[in-house]
Amino acid sequence: MGFESCHPAVNFLFFVAVLYGSVSFRHPAFLAISCLCACAYSVKRNGKAAAVFNLFLLPLVFCFALYYSSYHHFGVTVLKQNFIGNNLTVESFVYGLVIGLRGATVCMWLSCLNRIVSSDKVVYLFGKVSPLLSLFLTILLRLVPRVKQEAQRIDLAQKGIGRGSNQGNLWQRFINCLRIFSMLITWMISALALEADSMRSRGSLLRGRTAFSIYRFDNRDRAFVIALFSCITLTAMGVILGATEMFYNPRIIWKPMDARNSATAIGYTVLCLLPMGLELWTEYRFRKARCES
Amino acid sequence: MAHFNIENLTFSYAAAKGRHSLENVSLKVEQGEFLVLCGKSGSGKSTLLRHLKTVLTPNGKRTGEILFRGVPLSKVSDREQAEKIGFVMQNPDDQIVTDKVWHELAFGLESLGCDQKTMRARVAEMACYFGIQDWFHRDVCNLSGGQKQLLNLAAIMAMQPEVLILDEPTSQLDPIAASDFLNTVRKINRELGTTVIITEHRLEDIFPYADRAVVMDGGKVIADDAPRNVGKLLYEQHHPMFSAMPTPVRVFYGAEGVGECPLTVRDGRSWLSKAFPQTPQYPAIPAPELSEETAPSALSLKELWFRYEKDSPDILRGVSAEVPKGSLYAILGGNGAGKSTTLKAICGICKPYRGKVTLFGKQIDKYKNRQLFSHCLAMLPQDPKSLFVKKTVREDLEEMTKDKALIEETAATCQITSLLDSHPYDLSGGEQQRAALAKVLLTQPKLLLLDEPTKGIDSFFKETFAEILANLKKQGITIVMVSHDVEFCARYADLVAMFFDGQILTTDTPRRFFGSNSFYTTAAHRMSRHVFDMAVTAEDVIRLYQKNKEAAK
Repeated sequence: MGFESCHPAVNFLFFVAVLYGSVSFRHPAFLAISCLCACAYSVKRNGKAAAVFNLFLLPLVFCFALYYSSYHHFGVTVLKQNFIGNNLTVESFVYGLVIGLRGATVCMWLSCLNRIVSSDKVVYLFGKVSPLLSLFLTILLRLVPRVKQEAQRIDLAQKGIGRGSNQGNLWQRFINCLRIFSMLITWMISALALEADSMRSRGSLLRGRTAFSIYRFDNRDRAFVIALFSCITLTAMGVILGATEMFYNPRIIWKPMDARNSATAIGYTVLCLLPMGLELWTEYRFRKARCES
Repeated sequence: MAHFNIENLTFSYAAAKGRHSLENVSLKVEQGEFLVLCGKSGSGKSTLLRHLKTVLTPNGKRTGEILFRGVPLSKVSDREQAEKIGFVMQNPDDQIVTDKVWHELAFGLESLGCDQKTMRARVAEMACYFGIQDWFHRDVCNLSGGQKQLLNLAAIMAMQPEVLILDEPTSQLDPIAASDFLNTVRKINRELGTTVIITEHRLEDIFPYADRAVVMDGGKVIADDAPRNVGKLLYEQHHPMFSAMPTPVRVFYGAEGVGECPLTVRDGRSWLSKAFPQTPQYPAIPAPELSEETAPSALSLKELWFRYEKDSPDILRGVSAEVPKGSLYAILGGNGAGKSTTLKAICGICKPYRGKVTLFGKQIDKYKNRQLFSHCLAMLPQDPKSLFVKKTVREDLEEMTKDKALIEETAATCQITSLLDSHPYDLSGGEQQRAALAKVLLTQPKLLLLDEPTKGIDSFFKETFAEILANLKKQGITIVMVSHDVEFCARYADLVAMFFDGQILTTDTPRRFFGSNSFYTTAAHRMSRHVFDMAVTAEDVIRLYQKNKEAAK
């Protein structure tokens, strides 16, 4: 029902846009918009865990700013001198805050991305570029849990004769782990050989491979893309005209929020809120439909 | 036109120094036929099957010819072979390429370069035909073994092959999943007319339904006829393969029965009813005098409770058992009932949060780890491969102990002396099992735990394995075995315990245990239940049959 049910290309486009904005816009207002929207959306998707995680990021941002300003000494507004005689300046501290916040915002967006874009979607998107590449990726995705399972199986077998990863003294444990690792490699070689047989037997070597997908591009995706592109265009215009620029060195020069900048900011806000809006709207429709029936 | 026509095929592996793996094999497979290929492990079945698809054909020296619909196979394009000849292999895990069920179903179609619309239609069709739609979106790694193998079958059927070749497809599955799988294969043959060529240990499930059975021995075809005639031929030749025949066939010939040989339990029942219209004079095998059941117990479990996580459900829910010294104690039960977890609890890998494990009169917590795993207990895992570390079996055994004499002795007990210098991965399933057993035995355990030791092993290796176990018992070793294999437990176990819902519900001797069951019991008992009492093995039925026939004279 949520954003994850949109077409992967739409998901991908949205995250590229907001991540690009979060990283490249230097104006604190735009950063704040992105940060708040990311925070709201991640809390909506992941609940309490996300709220705790986001709160936890705040002190980290502050710490980073402190760290940053104690190593970079540009700027003209000196707060004080530290014990080796370097200046601590407001400019470098503020810029540190901006970078820290940018990092935190990216983290929040990524936590949303993690929920929305499953490995399937990545495989699908790669498949659009090259079916072989997506095949390679999907084999890897299959291999990782398999190796994990096999490692557990081998460890269990070894425990049964007293040579498991947690038996014996430290040295023996180390040796046991090495043995398990060596067995895992042997197993992997033979398993991959068999898997190659199975692949060749189903014609993986034939030319002209295509990629299957379970996704469809429907009307809702079209509407979403139109909205997304309108917002992107509006924001991009502002960017070209310098609405998102900001100077921190040697002195903070604040760009006033005039009509042009405000329009850009509104466009950007709508852009960042699109998936959340979509979800709220769908939920509202769903509730209404259920009440009526 | 014949689907496959194999003419005088002789083949030897490059490394085999001239020893033929296939010798003068000639075989014709007609369209729509259901053909069962049987033979011991190493008789050349798999080698023959792999010759039926060029990309899988092993390297080596080869003479003779294989025709696919009248055209030499080497001239048939790879694309056509990929599409028309489907091949299902032994291990379900090793064949699955992708991480999602839906993707796996489409894998072959992607290779063929089908367009999106065709793929969607075919995948949907397959998912419905095989009943996969409920787990269509699942990750492959969360499926059960049976589901995985069914997925492999469906993924191949999606390419709409004309011939389906299956190389021991059920050897890694539990009996219920296995017979489901084989039923699906039969359904494909019956409803779609796909030609099926299958090798299988579990002959009971498919032998009666096959159009033709081909028996191989030492790389040669020694029988090629309708199943009923093949049974007769093997009996007349006193061929070792006869012991792999379904129980009704073995009973019929073993008892020198008259009439038409039954192939299924149903036919076996009506054959017995005809032979004994009235209640026979000796309906039951005389019960042996009860041996003193007071043998001291080697292992005792008292109300074990265990769960993996704090919030997960209990796996063990009060398991109690007494295992007498020197006995073979078999725990039977369904999948995921907690049998393997019980074994883990016995050797201290899982710590129950309630209850006691007592080993040779001493509680398990009182043993130090080192004491526990040397001269006390050892566990043979389900997959024997996960024990091998080195390049040869000998090196692997030497890793356990420096005592050469002990190694030689153990190798002799496990009948692997001739295999000591081979690579463990090159051995067949049964041989690997024995090599792994030897390795485990080198810790000189008094209590041996076996986790499904007969999985994927053919009937000869099972007999050898049972012999080894009997020898170990004579040496005073107690054996606890977890198994799905009803027939094996009925023949060789001293005590059988039924595991269900996290508990051991009943424990009894195999005869009384299986004799009082009517579903979960051996084929011999299901077949003879209405005439004889408590005859649970083929030998029991044969004995009673002959005794009663003699008495009637």
